[in-house]
Amino acid sequence: MNLRHREPLLWSAIVALAVAGFWWAGRAPAPEPADGRKVITWISFITPLRDYYEAEVAAFERAHPNVHVRIIWAPQSEYHMKFKTLAAAGQAPDLFYSGDVWLRYLMPFMRDLTPLVKRDDAEIGLDDYFPPIRAAMQQDGRYYVLPETTNVALLYYNRRLFAEAGLAEPNEAWTWTDLVRAGQKLTHTERDGQPGVWGCSRVEGWWGEWLIYVRQAGGKVFSPDGKRCTLDSPEAVAGLKFFAEKSSRYGISAPAGFEPLNGFVNQRVAMIVGGHTNYWPNYNQVPALDWDVQILPAGPASRRGGELAIAGYAMSKTARYPEETWQLLKFLTRRETVAEVVARGGIAVRRSVAEAHLRNLRPSDRPRHMAAVYHQMDFADPIPRDAHFIELMLKIVQAEIDRMILGELTPEEAGRRAAAAANAFLATFGSSDS
Amino acid sequence: MHRSQIHPAIRACLYALLALGAFVMLLPLAWMLLTSLKTFPEILRSPPAWLPAHPQWENYRTVWNGFAYYRFFLNSTFVAVMVIAGTVLTCCPAAYAFSFYDVRHKELLFGALLSTLMLPAQVTVIPLFKAFAALHWINTYLPLIVPAWLGGNVFGIFLLRQFFRTIPKSFIEAARIDGASEWTILWRLIVPMSLPAVLTVVIFTFLWSWNDLFNPLVYLHDESTYTLPVGLLYFIARAEQLTGGSAGLVPWHLVMTLATVMVLPIIVVFAFAQRRFVEGVAASGVKG
Amino acid sequence: MNARRAQLLWFWLFAGPAVLGFACFSLWPMLYSLWLSFCRYEVVAPPAFIGLRNYSYLLKSDPAFWPSIKVTLFFTAVQMPLSILGALGVALLLNQPVRGRGFWRSVYFLPSILPQAASAAVFVYIFQADGGLLNRVLGLVGIAGPAWNTSPTWALPVLVIVSLWSFGYPMVIFLSGLQSVPRELYEAAHIDGAGAWARFRHVTLPLISPVLFFNIVMGIIGALKVFDLAYAYGAAQGLEPGGPARATLFYGLNLYQQAFTYFHMGLASAMAWLLFAVIMAITWLNFRLGRRWVHYGD
Repeated sequence: MNLRHREPLLWSAIVALAVAGFWWAGRAPAPEPADGRKVITWISFITPLRDYYEAEVAAFERAHPNVHVRIIWAPQSEYHMKFKTLAAAGQAPDLFYSGDVWLRYLMPFMRDLTPLVKRDDAEIGLDDYFPPIRAAMQQDGRYYVLPETTNVALLYYNRRLFAEAGLAEPNEAWTWTDLVRAGQKLTHTERDGQPGVWGCSRVEGWWGEWLIYVRQAGGKVFSPDGKRCTLDSPEAVAGLKFFAEKSSRYGISAPAGFEPLNGFVNQRVAMIVGGHTNYWPNYNQVPALDWDVQILPAGPASRRGGELAIAGYAMSKTARYPEETWQLLKFLTRRETVAEVVARGGIAVRRSVAEAHLRNLRPSDRPRHMAAVYHQMDFADPIPRDAHFIELMLKIVQAEIDRMILGELTPEEAGRRAAAAANAFLATFGSSDS
Repeated sequence: MHRSQIHPAIRACLYALLALGAFVMLLPLAWMLLTSLKTFPEILRSPPAWLPAHPQWENYRTVWNGFAYYRFFLNSTFVAVMVIAGTVLTCCPAAYAFSFYDVRHKELLFGALLSTLMLPAQVTVIPLFKAFAALHWINTYLPLIVPAWLGGNVFGIFLLRQFFRTIPKSFIEAARIDGASEWTILWRLIVPMSLPAVLTVVIFTFLWSWNDLFNPLVYLHDESTYTLPVGLLYFIARAEQLTGGSAGLVPWHLVMTLATVMVLPIIVVFAFAQRRFVEGVAASGVKG
Repeated sequence: MNARRAQLLWFWLFAGPAVLGFACFSLWPMLYSLWLSFCRYEVVAPPAFIGLRNYSYLLKSDPAFWPSIKVTLFFTAVQMPLSILGALGVALLLNQPVRGRGFWRSVYFLPSILPQAASAAVFVYIFQADGGLLNRVLGLVGIAGPAWNTSPTWALPVLVIVSLWSFGYPMVIFLSGLQSVPRELYEAAHIDGAGAWARFRHVTLPLISPVLFFNIVMGIIGALKVFDLAYAYGAAQGLEPGGPARATLFYGLNLYQQAFTYFHMGLASAMAWLLFAVIMAITWLNFRLGRRWVHYGD
């Protein structure tokens, strides 16, 4: 090998290619419009309704020619990571998703919409929103969110499985006892080559179901001043106990981890307590699934406690063009949007749209008891308002619940340990709350 | 090599062992492939069907049409090429410097470089994000590429140094006496002698860049700039739209289809690199 | 004298970019995060100095901190040796004169290059309690398998198994090490009458000791930093990663959640610095011990 041999040409080519590469890499892919339009950024989950939203934005831009809306589509699982990294870099999006679960969590970024809401009340029609929805839009009497849709916890059931078990369908007078009794009749192991059926689902991994029982048993997550976690109270423990005993004592739910995949859709689970309205289109995709809903069965202390969560939009404190962003926010939550939500199989947050919906129900529509859905709003409660609620529930409390349904902890122990850990957290991180 | 030394019975055992291991390695991939050919109801069924009743090749068309695969593919390729180029052009000299020069505090400096391998990426990302935002690099590929051009692949430096150190210094002395410059010695003597190591670094760099999810997720916000792994996440959400579903029931058959399509180029590149790799090892003998 | 100065110049020409990169992309962010570890910083407001409170919360009150250390140590202690042994074993097999070596190597390497999200999803299916591949096979021989993914006893061993599926990186490094062993040495040893084990012990092992050492160090660091796998495995089940009952809450995952799910940047920085200190200590120990058995060329 001749070591004196050099290749200046080769190295020049490499340098030239590298320079070209860096030029390409550094080019901004989405240049801001140079035509002087005001740019509003909107961060949104990637959703099945994406085409609809893009059409909406196009319509908005036609109505407001001086505005350009840039949508940042983020996968749902990474949405908050992306949001907060952008905020940390001083580039918080002008418009973003928020619901009441997120309301306290994202509040530090939110603009108080109250003056704008009051100014445009004639256009918005606050009275048209159901009272619990209106409550969910506010914090301490100030408005922060305009809602697009909502989820209400309900009792879901499979009509075919009820008929086969010779059971009457759930009614408005149902209690936990009725739930257990029906669940036991519905539960059976594999027979005639047909797979087994569980009477009732059990939601694992988050608070979706157990929080309903805790509240229906008279328990609360937080003390009235919001400074302490009270999951160790006897009432809360009674709720946790029912959640555990659905499987360990009554045998109406599968042991932890053994619930069949997509059990309700596959007709291997007959009931769901809580559930989510987002799944309705999925259920309706399976023609053999004859399902319906009823208001939640009452617990020992109350029928109240089912969750009501709105999904809507908030405006960033740092929005550069608040008036234009507000126009977009109103546009995205206007009456036509709410009607569109219903048309696609969801729940109306506005009374006028809901009433029209109920009048025009067809016999083939599922669920058939739409009246029960809106009736359940009278018994529903928003998620406990605490800036750290999501973290407390998912990161701190849930591990103890997991261990309880595995039989490693009694409900008393689970409640005590959960409350102790949550209180240690609140003592350290709770003070920034506001 | 010494083929004659191996007893036929041992050879049979060897192949049986290799085949058994290969079966275990490939089984999950076969499951992925099978799943990619199923229908949505077959996925929803519990337990899921073993074999697709009718192989759904349309799934591949659905994925191709419903999703800008080629765009993400080109983006991933561009980033990978730039990262590999930067890695080779800066890691080889650095490894050479740390292997063959006697400079005071060299070991200390190298230890400091090495220690960054252990720092969780999540820690540096917030300060870096702030810095890149100040430079207006957000939503460009520069945050993904520039670190590689500044020796960001410390693993590569370490690996190359491990190999370089096995080359006797007398080789370099001899080349110096011949009048070769350090630059020439590096690129004309050391790197060709260490081609297997360099190729190893290239392959690893390619895979890391290709599969990196975290950094693209943090720095790229515009869909047209996404690389494949972010595209996959994006797709999981998007695929629900293609099946008309919504949150909760992920159409894994389509996700598996995409995963299959996504893995395919890697397999091709690797199969190709593999040959080069083996030839390189045979040609130069790292130990010299 | 002149040569020394020239060498210094060349050293900085060659190592300069890497050192600059180190200063910009590692040292400065590291120091900044060290400062953050003494701060309360939740992104909303600027960092506020709170002394050692992050550290004391972690060590004394945080219910997730110690469980995540336990999970990580168990995983490291089991997974690292198994994967090193597996990788070395397969590399040794592939280093034999087998037909289609390239094919076999590709097969064994393949799982390592899969996107974690995809392989996690596949394994979630396989280990599914109700109707999963594994439990169905076990059912054929009359064993009722447990709920692998959702049992705190089994979830972590399952992740060990899933991670053992992809030992391609150390395997490739072993192979390139093995293939650089000059065959004359084997032939010499063979002529001396050394058996297979003796050849491995006295020829192969000393010569590949640098790559073995390298793989062990990287294996430990990798195991201590596990994130993708645990994250993807949880996400593929539609659950909060880390469950059930924190059984798969790896330190790296815990750190990610504190930083990017809950935005306790100060707390997460403190966690990162504790991890960094531990890794530094282990690595230092490794290098100390490594001197005794690692052989470099001349």
